[in-house]
Amino acid sequence: MSPSPVDAMNHTSPTLSRRSFAAASGFAMGTLALRSLLAEESAGSTGDAPRPHHPPTARSVIVLFMAGGPSQVDTFDPKPELAKLAGKDVPESIARNVPKIKRAGLKNLMASHWDFHPRGECGMPISTLLPETAKFADDLCVIRSMTHRNPVHGPGECVALTGTGAGDRPSVGAWSVYGLGSASQELPSFIAMNLMTAGMQYPQAAGWGPGFLPSRFQGTVVEPARGIHDVDMPDGVGNARRLRELAVIQQLNRRFLESVEQHSELEARIRSYEMAFRMQTAAPELFNVGQESQQTQRMYGLDADQTKTVGRACLLARRMVERGVRFIQIRVGGWDAHGNIKGNHTNMAGRTDRPIAALIADLKQRGLLDSTLLVWGGEFGRTPTMEGRAKGRDHSPAAYSVWLAGGGVRGGQIIGQTDPIGYTVTERPVKPVELHATMLHALGIDSDRLVYDHHGLLETPVGVTGGQPVLEAFA
Amino acid sequence: MTPVLCAAATIVLLLSQGLVAAPGLGNSPWKRNGLATQRFEIQGTEGRNNPLRRKLDEPYAGDELFVRYYLNYDAGTIDLPNEDEGEFLVLWLDIGEGSDASTHSQHVPNIGIHVKGNQNRFMIRYVSRGEAYGPPLVGDRDILVVGRLSKTVPGRDQPFDRLELWIDPEPQDHPEPVASVSSRRAPHVVEWIGFSTGAKTEVDDRIQVWDIDVAATWEELFGLPPAPEPESLEPLPEEQRTVTFADDVYPILKARCFDCHSGEDATEGVRLDVLDEVVNQTAPRDAAGSRLFQLVSEEEMPPDGPALSDHELQILRAWIDEGLHWDEQLLPTPVPQTDHWAFQPIRRPDIPTVANAGWIRTPVDAFIARKHEEQGLVPAPAADAQTLHRRLSLDLLGLPPDRAEADVPFETLIDRFLARPEYGERWGRHWLDVARWAESNGHQHNLLRPHAWRYRDWVIDAFASDKPYDQFVREQLAGDALEPYSDENLVATGFLSAARYSGNELDKDIQRNDILVDVVNTTARALLGLTVECAQCHTHKFDPISIRDYYRFQAFFTKGQPVNVVLSGEGEAARELVEERWRIFDTVHDRLVVAKRRQGVPDPIYIVPATVIRGMKPAEKKRFEELDRAIAGFDQTWAWYSPMTANGDVAVAPHEMRWPLPRRPSVLERLRTTILIRGDVKSRGPEVSPGWPAVFGPMPGEPDNPRLALANWMTDPANPLVARVWVNRIWQWHFGHGLVETSGDFGTQGTPPTHPELLDFLASELIDSGWSTRHIHRLILNSATYRQSSTFSAANDAIDPGNQLLWRWTPRRLEAEAIRDSILAVSGQLDARRGGPSDEGASSRRSIYLRQRRGNLPHQQMLFDGANGIASCTQRRVSTTALQPLWLLNSRFIQDAAEALATRVETVDEAFQLAVAREPTRDERAALHDLAGEFGMVSACLAILNSSEFLYIP
Repeated sequence: MSPSPVDAMNHTSPTLSRRSFAAASGFAMGTLALRSLLAEESAGSTGDAPRPHHPPTARSVIVLFMAGGPSQVDTFDPKPELAKLAGKDVPESIARNVPKIKRAGLKNLMASHWDFHPRGECGMPISTLLPETAKFADDLCVIRSMTHRNPVHGPGECVALTGTGAGDRPSVGAWSVYGLGSASQELPSFIAMNLMTAGMQYPQAAGWGPGFLPSRFQGTVVEPARGIHDVDMPDGVGNARRLRELAVIQQLNRRFLESVEQHSELEARIRSYEMAFRMQTAAPELFNVGQESQQTQRMYGLDADQTKTVGRACLLARRMVERGVRFIQIRVGGWDAHGNIKGNHTNMAGRTDRPIAALIADLKQRGLLDSTLLVWGGEFGRTPTMEGRAKGRDHSPAAYSVWLAGGGVRGGQIIGQTDPIGYTVTERPVKPVELHATMLHALGIDSDRLVYDHHGLLETPVGVTGGQPVLEAFA
Repeated sequence: MTPVLCAAATIVLLLSQGLVAAPGLGNSPWKRNGLATQRFEIQGTEGRNNPLRRKLDEPYAGDELFVRYYLNYDAGTIDLPNEDEGEFLVLWLDIGEGSDASTHSQHVPNIGIHVKGNQNRFMIRYVSRGEAYGPPLVGDRDILVVGRLSKTVPGRDQPFDRLELWIDPEPQDHPEPVASVSSRRAPHVVEWIGFSTGAKTEVDDRIQVWDIDVAATWEELFGLPPAPEPESLEPLPEEQRTVTFADDVYPILKARCFDCHSGEDATEGVRLDVLDEVVNQTAPRDAAGSRLFQLVSEEEMPPDGPALSDHELQILRAWIDEGLHWDEQLLPTPVPQTDHWAFQPIRRPDIPTVANAGWIRTPVDAFIARKHEEQGLVPAPAADAQTLHRRLSLDLLGLPPDRAEADVPFETLIDRFLARPEYGERWGRHWLDVARWAESNGHQHNLLRPHAWRYRDWVIDAFASDKPYDQFVREQLAGDALEPYSDENLVATGFLSAARYSGNELDKDIQRNDILVDVVNTTARALLGLTVECAQCHTHKFDPISIRDYYRFQAFFTKGQPVNVVLSGEGEAARELVEERWRIFDTVHDRLVVAKRRQGVPDPIYIVPATVIRGMKPAEKKRFEELDRAIAGFDQTWAWYSPMTANGDVAVAPHEMRWPLPRRPSVLERLRTTILIRGDVKSRGPEVSPGWPAVFGPMPGEPDNPRLALANWMTDPANPLVARVWVNRIWQWHFGHGLVETSGDFGTQGTPPTHPELLDFLASELIDSGWSTRHIHRLILNSATYRQSSTFSAANDAIDPGNQLLWRWTPRRLEAEAIRDSILAVSGQLDARRGGPSDEGASSRRSIYLRQRRGNLPHQQMLFDGANGIASCTQRRVSTTALQPLWLLNSRFIQDAAEALATRVETVDEAFQLAVAREPTRDERAALHDLAGEFGMVSACLAILNSSEFLYIP
């Protein structure tokens, strides 16, 4: 139980308390100061507020990262041929193109356990595994031709979120906030949530890390149930006391700044206390999903054990979007179906499908879907062959599906194509960095022009190998 | 028939994932009550009873658990539900033991016999009326009952929510279960198993159970060869040379190609007289896929004169297919010419004469003053003694000053601090940043390196004892090869072995190449100040580093890798144990492979170490574990090991990963290095031998020990980079930025030095002082430049707004470690114990002793821009975020510190003085005093600990 006065204050008037902070600290938070704070937190180091390269179609991005690797042929890439070839080897004509990865099994093809039906007006086929998501077929842009070469979870996750397997480059979220700065004055601009991390898929910190960018661009990891680290005041510390403490701290810090003069870091430090104070107010408010109607809570599945974990995170994501958080990453572990894909995927879909569909519906009904880009997918897909005797599928990065929705994306379309068994890409290959470029494009950023000087190397989000955004997604 | 009694069988298993202890029926006996016989004959009581039960070796929370038992039910004692009431017997798996009469029935997996209609049938269940049934019970028959408990969501804390049943399965066939049930309310861990009888089990029932066992896999349960895994490194195709370059290939190229395609102005820029460019025109070991060969075989080239003859084509084809053998004597790679400043020799400059001669304290100042005078800058006045004391203490020790030393002269303080172990801890951490050091393998499995701390301590000691920098470098690059052998030198190779290591990488070539790339990139950046990583895929666009240079550099390290090495004195004893351990391991491994091959799997790559351990017989297993325990008792270090250089006595101790690096020295000895086209491990270009980048001149001959030759070349006074890079780093750590701003890139893309002559002066001083880091510290710390105050000047600022030319001291934030250490120090909580294994969890030791687990570094360290231990960090960034004040205001750590500080002092003045080494101003005192009066001293202390002044080097 937290008798935190911040909570109490929340329910009364955050605006008032903000003003009282300003009064108590004798510090007026003008727009001017805010602009310089934003400038400093982003690529526009010239002092100008960061400006997108082109008009954005999205203000926020939510990445729904399905760690472990959902199977493409059981979700968004129907392969009736698999039923005919079940038990047989991968035909030579396809096997030839399967990358020589040691775990790419070529024996014993396995049909999908799920049926595919045309969904929505567009008629996009989606498997019965994801009945709730399927209701939004007309909003989804499925890319069936994602491809890379790393079949191992750890580096694969780094590839999927940072572009290379080494784990030393900035995550796409970090690039986003580097490019645009924060749109929130009271919350971190990049927030990551890790759900269901027990078991084999360890979260890879690089996925929300800053890489070589300054650490202020890293994702702030929050626990959906607990919120932001250290945001609660210690027991026994009241709001009055905290305001007085902050006033004294600011007095000391201003004096130090005056003694030094012209020190932008020290100025930023003073502002960071104001922002921390606002965060102290805003964060508990953000995490108080009790403010939502019963109906909303039910919609996200907060009433059911199976869906409440992902449901809470999805609901929080919507609340973050409303509060101007730029980049939100929800990582759901557990899709690694080596044995018994039927059981595993049924369970994982049961936990995620309803909350994710609710997120789409909710953003839509609030008019936020148009300005929020949703991206769903894992670090790779799975083999169309059976792994061992266990009726599971092994990792397969050669071809896998992701979907985009909202944020200017034209729904109801499918991009790219795979071979008749879904093992390799036959049309329009898309590399993970190109998916990143696509997200950045929606935010108004041209990946080739977002540059960071790293030890003299001018780095961009697409790295040395380059890559283009999937522009047809927006067409 | 007499039941086979296997109850004492000790089959201990390991799961493939190291996080979960193996389920096992170890040596603890079955716990019987009077109603189970030695022979596990079970009778009923017509009430709930647990006649037979026992504990697993350890609680088991893995993702899958198999259990089996044989059952024989005396037909004469079986009754059917319509005769009497039927029968009941179950095996349960539970968290706890319960009592003789506990039911083990609600939300507990049960596997046994239960009434269904008018039959006694095999069944499984979690709860009453939640049964699923198998076939009917038949009396007087030995029946094999098998159950599988599993977690649909893997993880220690997830429930065993699925239970499946087999009756008399053919183990080889791995058939489908005959029944299965699920329950969300199921235990997530199993520690006890046992048999329950019930109301239907009569006193005269005769039930025998035997051969009871648990295992983590189906295969293991039946002693089958384990389910399929990795292979050794793909051997590089042996050079089978049917043609030689000089005799066969060269004449063709010369006669038919070089007229147009050689020299600086080759047609279309295609030169065939330079290996690097020939590589661009060919596919590795694939003539048919090579542009060069296509052009000549399709007679597009040569454009004039007759086409190449079949014989000539055959030679070219063989030459490409055999790996593009080249003769560097005949056609040497041209030495790149560069006039880039950093590649020119270091020249000791004359000390400038300046107008402001009175300001000069050490020669350093003359160089700084000259720039000032050129630019019209006026240096800031000297800082006061208090400020200097605090600055020096934070800079050299990473801790706030001791008031007792307030009156000690500055020059004395410098000497005193440089001799203190805290200096080693502070500056050692700087080097650990550069060395991307950490204590776990990184990547997905991220196994700890429990002995890696020795390198950290070696670095600390090296600074504390002013180990000459050339020696410091030599030991880190080639400590294993230095004569005479010493443990300390071996520990130093922890620099190389700090590379990350993916234990989940099945492909050995990729796995090893990732490590080598890490070692090359780090070595080049740390010591040479060069970013060479681009050349991994293509010849560097800007710097004179070719792809061939890159792989020649890699070749210094190819035959080595990171391992645990037992320290000397114990090498021989340890080696015997290690060898015996591997003998057992290999015997079992080979046995499993043979079994697998017999099953028709020619290349069983999925036999990983955990599989082997699982496949051991009890006696093997027992000895193996004894040996592992004994080996773990030896002092070890995480070092770089190569059979080419290792001391003969060396014992390499095991470090098990799912897919470990190759173990046999002979495998490493045989490894060769090739250019990897576009950095792709699977596209092997021509073979190369060790060498430094050609721009620095040729490798003299073929040294016996190439890595030692590399170390000697680096530390040769003629090396233009190593000394410059090092003095620049020292400068950067004192002032916040280097004379060369890009301290990790002295290449053409880096920034030029602001004071090139000063850089060369310091580099010359370093070399001439016998590579003494302490000497460079003194030159800098005694200077007037270092002693400037932070006083601002608008006039100076207009000329040099970034203070690049050092006209004042720019206060800078302490690093993550120094922030935490300072807070501990002023609050009197600092635990001063040094060295040894790192602390995990609560610790009040200095931050350098906190466990550095990659991807999971201490929260506070990441919050304040700590190094991530992945790539060489040459300069800490300073981020300012709102999360930092939250930690400084609300964390448990800061609360404890504020309280501890409050109990240490009588007045706010005292607390203030402890924190920032000066008296508060009147206003500050008043504000703090009021705060303390209203909310207590703790509140005032918290404010002080949050002040910028406390967190900045003034």
